[in-house]
Amino acid sequence: MSLSLNMDFQFESTVERLWSALTDSRKLAKWIADNDFKPVVGHRFQFRHQPTEFWDGIVNSEVLAVEEPRLLSFSWEVGEEKHTVTLTVDDLGNGKVHLRLEQTGLSNKAALAGAEYGWKAWAGKLERVLAEQDAAG
Amino acid sequence: MIQLLAGKEDLPLHELAAHFRMGRTGVSKHLGILKEAGLVKDRKVGRETRYRLDAAPLKEVRDWVAHYSDYWSANMMRLGELLEEEDEE
Repeated sequence: MSLSLNMDFQFESTVERLWSALTDSRKLAKWIADNDFKPVVGHRFQFRHQPTEFWDGIVNSEVLAVEEPRLLSFSWEVGEEKHTVTLTVDDLGNGKVHLRLEQTGLSNKAALAGAEYGWKAWAGKLERVLAEQDAAG
Repeated sequence: MIQLLAGKEDLPLHELAAHFRMGRTGVSKHLGILKEAGLVKDRKVGRETRYRLDAAPLKEVRDWVAHYSDYWSANMMRLGELLEEEDEE
């Protein structure tokens, strides 16, 4: 059984700026996690999240597609789970840009293995980080 | 199949099979796969086997998707902030 996740977001920005935030390693670190990403097809890299009691925080990835400035796709591998994340940028005009996130290949295996708790802990951590950032201004 | 079982406590094979064009063997095979996936439990009552749905794993799958949904929502908030900061520069 395989499921997918589709999410849509809108930002007040330009296609160029959004593309830069998606493909610049330093910027990716600010909104996803520390990484050694390069916008080069075939490049293998890692996202290194804060480890939790249940998870080392590491996502192994490979760049699958780079179509500047519209589409970026990479694999997303955690344990047995091998997903694909695809980000698509669209210009809406009037200084607005649309970002579509698609994550495919989600199976139920990891959830059954109890990884659910790891994700809960992780989500909690993220909220704290966000709150801290807010506090820091 | 899951829909049929969802509304009932449990059902015997012949009642389930009545809803499908495939024969009992086919339905039985299908149930076997669902059982292996942990979605269906069976029990013997006299000479017949009754099947019932165990929806818990399905719920966990939904949770798994929900976790990613939360994860990306939180990330996108940070991305939004990052783009705003750049705007101010």
